[in-house]
Amino acid sequence: MASQRKNSRGESLLLRYAILGAWALFCLAPVLWFLSIGLRPRTEIITPQPIYWPSFSLDAWHMIWEDWPMAKYLRNSVAAIFGSVIIDLVLAIPAAYSLARYTYRGRDDIGFYILSTRMMAPAIVAIPIFFLFRNVGLLDTVWALMLVYAAINLSFVTWIIRSYMLDIPKELEDAARTDGAGDLRILWEIIIPAILPGIITASVIAMIFAINEFLFTLLIASTPKAYTMSVALANFTGGSDGLIYNAIALVAFLAFVPVFLVVVAIQKHLSRGLTMGAVKG
Amino acid sequence: MARIELTGIQKRWGAIWGVRDVNIDIADEEFIVFLGPSGCGKTTTMRMIAGLEDPSEGEIRMDGELMNGIDARDRDVAMVFQGYALYPNMSIYENIRFPLRMRGVDKAEHDTLVRRAADLVELSDYLDRKPGALSGGQRQRAALARAIVRQPQVFLMDEPLSNLDAKLRQAMRVQIKHIQRQLRITTVYVTHDQIEAMTLADRIVIMQAGLIQQIGTPDEIYNDPANTFVAGFIGSPPMNLVEGDLQDGRFTAPGIDIAGLTLPRNGKVTLGIRPEDCTVGGHSTQLKGDVYGVEPTGDITYLTIKAGEKLIEVKADRSYRSELGVPETVAFDPARIYLFDSETGQRLR
Ligand SMILES: Nc1ncnc2c1ncn2[C@@H]1O[C@H](COP(=O)(O)OP(=O)(O)OP(=O)(O)O)[C@@H](O)[C@H]1O
Ligand SMILES: [Mg+2]
Repeated sequence: MASQRKNSRGESLLLRYAILGAWALFCLAPVLWFLSIGLRPRTEIITPQPIYWPSFSLDAWHMIWEDWPMAKYLRNSVAAIFGSVIIDLVLAIPAAYSLARYTYRGRDDIGFYILSTRMMAPAIVAIPIFFLFRNVGLLDTVWALMLVYAAINLSFVTWIIRSYMLDIPKELEDAARTDGAGDLRILWEIIIPAILPGIITASVIAMIFAINEFLFTLLIASTPKAYTMSVALANFTGGSDGLIYNAIALVAFLAFVPVFLVVVAIQKHLSRGLTMGAVKG
Repeated sequence: MARIELTGIQKRWGAIWGVRDVNIDIADEEFIVFLGPSGCGKTTTMRMIAGLEDPSEGEIRMDGELMNGIDARDRDVAMVFQGYALYPNMSIYENIRFPLRMRGVDKAEHDTLVRRAADLVELSDYLDRKPGALSGGQRQRAALARAIVRQPQVFLMDEPLSNLDAKLRQAMRVQIKHIQRQLRITTVYVTHDQIEAMTLADRIVIMQAGLIQQIGTPDEIYNDPANTFVAGFIGSPPMNLVEGDLQDGRFTAPGIDIAGLTLPRNGKVTLGIRPEDCTVGGHSTQLKGDVYGVEPTGDITYLTIKAGEKLIEVKADRSYRSELGVPETVAFDPARIYLFDSETGQRLR
């Protein structure tokens, strides 16, 4: 009886692994395919015959680093993205705290306004933003990208952090206040540590959005000086050499790796954070 | 050390009343216990003293100084919260140390003070843990330690022992009383536990529905209840309250007939008698009824007698045993009989 039960549990475990394995394969296949394209010679990729034993080549790898300023694009991406997330956190945490904790006239309107910035198509503000940056002389700079990414993400970063703050019992702040802590102390020592999973979740999502951002980046970065990975990727598709598939694949893979690493590193917080955020509105 | 005066305190949120009218003058170094049913406004009153809530009406003074509108961090109070409110990301050690850091206590003293407070609540072995890894009772003691780690003007303790087992509760009670006497700090304490109230309090404040029913020493509250609410709230089991008719000093109700009362009044009244002021058996004619329940507890036997439709609780001798339904008589100590107005519940003297 007991062994039978154990057996059936073993079977269900097997089934579970089979399903998870299939799902993982489904999700990872494009990534692996990209990698395989990127690490093969160019001729092999464009041949119509199926190839069962691919050959390995670092041609594309050398090409992207040596023929193109890929390192610079990568640096631009990283600077713009991290910078934007830091700007977002610096602005969103106090804003969220205020929205979550204080009652004042117009609070709900401000909350709605913040959310409403996500409700329109980004293209609507593309032209004003272009002129804005041109007038302040920030066109074609990483700073401009940083500001744009920060602006795009600010609303939902604020919103996620706010919903985490709402989960913190008021009594906790009351206790800190009676113990003699002021507002900033409470925010720094009590609130922020308590909502760290939320802050991390919001940051990761903001990073992913920023990495994938294309429209504004293309608008602002008109020369390789401010190109990021996503725009550089688009620029590879043209040129006198025709389509260089293996290099494109490798760059796409490179754009994917940093996010992947970040997500893996903070996976524990992220899964907790996403579910917590899901329960709260 | 502080005297706390609450004058005409009201608190409401829109149409919801938290506190309707509270007036107390708490003397310096006094131990005041708030006692009352759930939702009567104990926590609300305490939060107003702490400065976490502003009264809608009325004045709060500490040592004569008006405190309305003064922030909690600028009032020198330490509070144990009903929900503990431990900082989840800090170890118990850091939790207890937090008020010392915030109040600028000399760094060199922190360790000694934290360990002493933890020792008093028997939590020394748990200092490295996070609050999440403690049981309810341990968390509660951590919250208590955080409050007693420094010497504030006022201690506010909102049911600080509610989650402890009987033995630990007794031990903590002794500690709290001892610390309070030693440091001579004015203390406001909320509890549901009458024994706690009786043993700790210099004065007890009985509250109901946002109003104070009576303020007095434990003896006064027990011996001299101001109304049926206080009478029925204090004592375990609480005072028996029987509605009946008073004519020329003679009280009658189904199964009850007591003569020789000296109240110059006729009509409907409520008679109160404590279970411990009754004598079972003998040839009394004061109460005749049937045995309804017998509960031996070892050192005493609780006896319930049905007189008319009314159940009367009596404390009988520990050896008392009886079958149910057997007729029984009870005599009352005439000096310990209380009479109340049946309409208003107020004591008649
Ligand atoms: N922030 C608030 N908003 C609205 N009503 C409140 C608020 N806080 C308390 N109340 C109400 O005020 C009344 C008194 O609450 P309070 O917390 O003081 O009760 P209590 O005596 O401490 O009860 P307990 O013994 O259950 O802790 C209750 O009816 C409660 O619902
Ligand atoms: Mg309460």
